Amino acid sequence: MSLAAIVANPASGKDIRRLVAHGSVFDNQEKVRMVRRLLLGLERAGVERVLYMPEGYGIVPRALNAIRPDMAVEALEMPVRNSQEDSIRAAEIMETLGVGIVVVLGGDGTSRAVCKGLTDTPVLPLSTGTNNVFPYMLEATVAGLAAGLVATGAVERETACVRSTALEILVDGEVADLALVDAAVYEDVFVASRAVWDMSKVSKLCLTRCRPDSIGLSAVGGQVELIRPEESRGLALELGPDAAERVVAAIAPGLFEEVGILRREIMEPGVLYPVGHSPCLVALDGEREVSVRRGSEAAIRLTVDGPWVVDVGRVMEAARTRRIFVR
Amino acid sequence: MSHDKEIMVKMYTTMNKIRMFESMLQEYFAAGKIPGFVHLYLGEEAVAVGACACLTDRDSITSTHRGHGHLIAKGGDLKLMMAEIFGKSTGYCKGKGGSMHIADVDLGILGANGIVGGGGPLATGAALAAKYRKTQDVTVCFFGDGASNQGTTQESLNLASAWKLPVVFVNENNGYGISCPQCKSMAVTDIADRAAAYDMPGVVVDGNDVLAVHEAVGEAVKRARRGEGPTLIECKTYRWRGHFEGDACTYRCVEELNEWMAKDPIPRFEEKLVESGLVTAAELEGIKAAVKKELDAALEFAQSSPLPELSALLEDVYA
Repeated sequence: MSLAAIVANPASGKDIRRLVAHGSVFDNQEKVRMVRRLLLGLERAGVERVLYMPEGYGIVPRALNAIRPDMAVEALEMPVRNSQEDSIRAAEIMETLGVGIVVVLGGDGTSRAVCKGLTDTPVLPLSTGTNNVFPYMLEATVAGLAAGLVATGAVERETACVRSTALEILVDGEVADLALVDAAVYEDVFVASRAVWDMSKVSKLCLTRCRPDSIGLSAVGGQVELIRPEESRGLALELGPDAAERVVAAIAPGLFEEVGILRREIMEPGVLYPVGHSPCLVALDGEREVSVRRGSEAAIRLTVDGPWVVDVGRVMEAARTRRIFVR
Repeated sequence: MSHDKEIMVKMYTTMNKIRMFESMLQEYFAAGKIPGFVHLYLGEEAVAVGACACLTDRDSITSTHRGHGHLIAKGGDLKLMMAEIFGKSTGYCKGKGGSMHIADVDLGILGANGIVGGGGPLATGAALAAKYRKTQDVTVCFFGDGASNQGTTQESLNLASAWKLPVVFVNENNGYGISCPQCKSMAVTDIADRAAAYDMPGVVVDGNDVLAVHEAVGEAVKRARRGEGPTLIECKTYRWRGHFEGDACTYRCVEELNEWMAKDPIPRFEEKLVESGLVTAAELEGIKAAVKKELDAALEFAQSSPLPELSALLEDVYA
């Protein structure tokens, strides 16, 4: 039976970047409408069963108020804690149950949580967050179609996906967390409202990818290097105000910063890049997340064993050449 | 966000003042020593403290029926507050107002409020006055999830945005309007979503993290002082006690309470303060002991103060 899954985060798109920058307000009703279109796409591609993460708002149940797709749509049986842990746990259960794909509605943070729960199940991240480097700004109808083709096996994973790199954060030799796009050494000890917008506190920045047209912290690297997610290399930057090389980057929606690059080097997979001091925080995909306590030693490492990410364009191109939707 | 030790220590001290003040009231109300109603703020200390630490004495707040925490955080006199709640003539309202009517205009405390949703228009009016007088002063409006459904609140959000008034709407979403869970009274889970309807920033923060509240309200206050208008900040939190003292809380489960008590804002802040190296654990113990002494003195003041005279019954009556 072809099985797809949905993790829709009701909490994404509501952080302080709406106040300190000009982030979009992505209300949950819009996520409901997106899931509606997503489900119709999945149905059209031939998916027979969809599992979803339960959450407080009921995004998927509300989506079903207006449509009656000809497939089973069922909530996972799991406790709802209304935290990031829910997304991780849901992804783990979904993979155990053998879903062919997990579609994520959220920002970089939600995508990161889901990818922490998966090992080799493809993910299709749809943006409802703030910085949107990892997830796609894409019409959910088409995303549903592409996700459905992967779930049914009509387009195989190796054709449909790229395997993205990721960053592992090690504290005292143990992997403490994972970043999909960027890991920033943040010279502070207070996580507070999480988001990063004060670049004067960012002393180092490691990136799995960068391109000049991206937004968020990876936009800093994007002005000096071009690295695709599937390339087995990353970029490590040392930042500081006295640097000779300075770049202007859109670090958040509507927010530009001039950032000095003291030193840059290409990250090789498996090589440890020391954080360099403690205490500090490591911000992951734009959010202050890992506390490095005084006396601890932390490092950042690029891994090529990141998530399998669906490339919607490749899937739909395969559908065209295979005449899947030609009658 | 400032890492000034003085501000951090003040926030920690004030959180403990509120915690001990409310715990004392809980004990003395149960013993039948306090007349009227009390609505305790236990568990929500981080919101009032994080927000008020962003304000100067010239700035104002409007409060709610659950107002003790806001008033203490804005500098309310513990003796006068305690005496008022005990119904004594030495209290803020000469013992005739009680818990829900304490105000201190000199400190910018525009009053606790027995009317759910009553603070919005007052805060908006105060902000209009500040703008009219070009004072740069900001008003923080504390209101609950129940109040967010009141027309007064929505009208206030609308006018504040339309006139770009220097007001910060700090929503304390503790999940229940009296006994009604949020999911039964509104179709949204995030009250901050409503900000978009008024073209103002809406932000959700962890209301049990004093630093998260402080950072977000601090940015909103700066925005207001720059003349850029209001902000809506939703602080997700939880009240440990019932709606009022005596509420049997049959509408919520113990597991939910335990889950939130595990997120107690005071130990969370303690841990961060010590880890940061700003203060030592011994210093924090010293602060708690000093707060205890201050609270004991306030309690002694209230208990030893006289009740209002019968002859004062019609004094200060305006209608």
